[in-house]
Amino acid sequence: MTTVVQTVNLHKHFGRVHALDGLDLEIQAGEIHGFLGPNGAGKSTTLRILLGLAKATSGSATVLGLEPWTRAVDLHRRLAYVPGDVRLWPNLSGGETIDLLSRLRGGTADGNAYRRRKARLCEAFDFDPGKKGRAYSKGNRQKVVLIAALATDAELYLLDEPTSGLDPLMEAVFRRELLAAVERGATVLLSSHILSEVEVLCHRVSIIRAGRIVDGGTLDSLRHLTRTEISFAADGLEAQALARLGAVHDLAFDGGRVRFSADSDRVAEVLPALGALAVQGLTINPPSLEELFLRHYGDASAHPESPADINNGNGDHGHGGDRHGGRRHLLGMRGRA
Amino acid sequence: MGVLLILWRQRLRRDRWQLPCWILVIGAFALFAVSVVSSTYGTAASRSEILQVAIATPAILMLRGLPRGADQGAFTFFLIYAFLALLAGLMSTFLAVRHSRADEETGGAELVAATPAGRLLPNTATVLHGTAANVLAGLAVFGGFAARGLDPQGSLLAGTATGAVGLCFLGMGLLVAQCMGTSRGANGVSAALVVLAYVVRGIGDATGTPHSDGTTMTEGAASWFSPIGWGQQTFAFSGNRAWPLLLPLGLGAACLTAAWLILRVRDTGDSVWGDRPARTSARAGLNSPVALALRLQSGSILGWGLSGLALGLLAGSLGKAIAAVDNPGSGITAALRAMLRSQGISLTQLMVSVLFSIAGVLAAACALQAVIRLRQEEASGTAELLLAAPVGRVRWLAGYLALGALAVVLVLGLAGVGAWATLTGSGDESMPADALWQTVLAQLPAALLYLAVPALVFVLWPAATIAAGWVLLGLGVFLGIFGGMLGIDQGLRDLSPFTHTPVPHGDATDWSGAWWMLAIAGAVACLAVLVMRRREVGTA
Repeated sequence: MTTVVQTVNLHKHFGRVHALDGLDLEIQAGEIHGFLGPNGAGKSTTLRILLGLAKATSGSATVLGLEPWTRAVDLHRRLAYVPGDVRLWPNLSGGETIDLLSRLRGGTADGNAYRRRKARLCEAFDFDPGKKGRAYSKGNRQKVVLIAALATDAELYLLDEPTSGLDPLMEAVFRRELLAAVERGATVLLSSHILSEVEVLCHRVSIIRAGRIVDGGTLDSLRHLTRTEISFAADGLEAQALARLGAVHDLAFDGGRVRFSADSDRVAEVLPALGALAVQGLTINPPSLEELFLRHYGDASAHPESPADINNGNGDHGHGGDRHGGRRHLLGMRGRA
Repeated sequence: MGVLLILWRQRLRRDRWQLPCWILVIGAFALFAVSVVSSTYGTAASRSEILQVAIATPAILMLRGLPRGADQGAFTFFLIYAFLALLAGLMSTFLAVRHSRADEETGGAELVAATPAGRLLPNTATVLHGTAANVLAGLAVFGGFAARGLDPQGSLLAGTATGAVGLCFLGMGLLVAQCMGTSRGANGVSAALVVLAYVVRGIGDATGTPHSDGTTMTEGAASWFSPIGWGQQTFAFSGNRAWPLLLPLGLGAACLTAAWLILRVRDTGDSVWGDRPARTSARAGLNSPVALALRLQSGSILGWGLSGLALGLLAGSLGKAIAAVDNPGSGITAALRAMLRSQGISLTQLMVSVLFSIAGVLAAACALQAVIRLRQEEASGTAELLLAAPVGRVRWLAGYLALGALAVVLVLGLAGVGAWATLTGSGDESMPADALWQTVLAQLPAALLYLAVPALVFVLWPAATIAAGWVLLGLGVFLGIFGGMLGIDQGLRDLSPFTHTPVPHGDATDWSGAWWMLAIAGAVACLAVLVMRRREVGTA
């Protein structure tokens, strides 16, 4: 496998703020790589460096074998970029913008075939190209750039939260078109905080927090970091009986039900015990990246639903001062398991 | 009431810099006008003499106003009132659009309309805000006139007339904002209405009938079709009548009512003239960054070009008109002619070079706007779309600079064509064609400096581009064009590019300033392009 994107110890400082703090990212050809992180973690900064729109303070970045800052134009012939917050020229129509961007990228050389691709994508995304840029909603502005990106073949797609304005129906269209592009041999870097989207699409993910990659790998390899939610009817069961279940976290009775969570890779160990208790109304919620995400960032993002047991004892969550918090707390979780 | 005050305070807060600027500039112009009159035309005899020249010169009347006698106050009012009213009008229309259509465009209006403030109260707050601004502008004019000892009653009427015309355009601006779908369009149309009012009044004044005393005129019919013309009809300092101000106030109130009626029935974000269906695919030519820059700026370039053409037409006709004043008793014109003869240039040449210095300012503003557009593209995020395609930063910048330079040449070229047309048409042979084109060329270097220097600011300190650009142009005009008249120190005046614009008069013309400015502009532009290679592109 060839490496399409590689960054080594990438730093980007804005004054005293360290937006990227030693980011190591590697993307293989042909994969859809999820780039996950909360707002402000450095996702967009990373993409801007990969595009050569911003210059790294230190460290190296290679995209399609080129150094992006010095070879931006050559690089851009081979990639397509969809920003997270699309802004259009107010007095150009959507169709004109799609044509302009595609022509600049050299993707309209095949004339009629291009026009057919454009028409098909407009149809698929239910998009009206005959309105002025200023008249489009956020989702429609995003469609303009998505269509322009998908209408021209690219080796690499850099997508920055590309579906944040799309409705679920359009997200499905987007997934289908993206998979078709990968089928044609493209590589995709999909930055997102919409975890379900990454879960459905991505082969591998990298999780970024405070400017560095805190974890990564295939989805399966990350499962051990997540917990599965288990609940069943409480009638007649006593706390002592449940104590024997073993790898149980957050055990609670509420509304006549027992709830607890178990490490996802150890759910099988719990099941025989539940069988012995002959529990009623058993539900098991599969782990989601959502949950993994909350565990990684629960302390930093001060999420109200963050599990109470995630507390690494570090009261200071300043932007640079806590840079190892994510890793430390992951280790803490492993220690308990 | 509480909510209305909150909305008003928000408007005051947003305008805390620009509104005081407008009002101070209006007051300062009134003050300067009185100073200039008392220092240059200190005696009634000199004023009546220059009025006789003016009455015989429609182009001067067109620019200035309606002569109503040689009294110092009346003379000052003739010189400056139309210009003050023009400024008050522009201040008011920009204010109206800024707090109505522009707010709807950015979505701010929707946020406010979703609070208990509702859809209509923000409009009331804008009216309140604009009224306060015009009252203050009127007071500034009153203060500027009265402070230098002009008759307080006439000064108060002149101030009231300025504020009343401003209020009229406040109403027009709000009405236009209801009709147009974009703030750019609304600003363009309403500012054009203000300029149109100035021009229509000018036609009326230029076609007026002189009285036998030689210093007073009765206006032509066209003056009665312009709010600025109505303000002039107060005859401040000479007749002091307030009733003509009922006309601008009435028209303003009618416009406000119409705007309110439309606002009451339309959806937020909607407009009377909505968007027509647009093209679904681009023309074949839209395939490069320069083509896009041209597409985005063609409207404004055309506007600057037409202004240049109009100025050129005026410049070419002025000399002949002045020469037609055959007044043997006039010491000033005789002295002027003697001076010109000693320098070997004609009156026409002098007029053309004076008016072409204004064309030079137009061209500089056009150049500056090209760079400002570049910054706006970057700040709004659309530049990122372009630069994420195979378009280099340097090519992007260079394209805008090249287009800006072409636009400058176009503006000056059209001014030259305009002057040539009226010179040839009127049979005025006192300005040879090569002298005319030399005058046109002489304006080019200063204008190009206003392309290169803002471009360097854009590259080094992007966030400052727009403010720094206008401040540089304002200072350049103030020091270079008005500096001599206001008696400003030569060392300071030398800082302005316009000071160094050559004034061609035959073989003795000193072109060194032009070459220096051309060299500096070229070097600065190269530096900007070089630095651009190392500059990040973002919205910061």
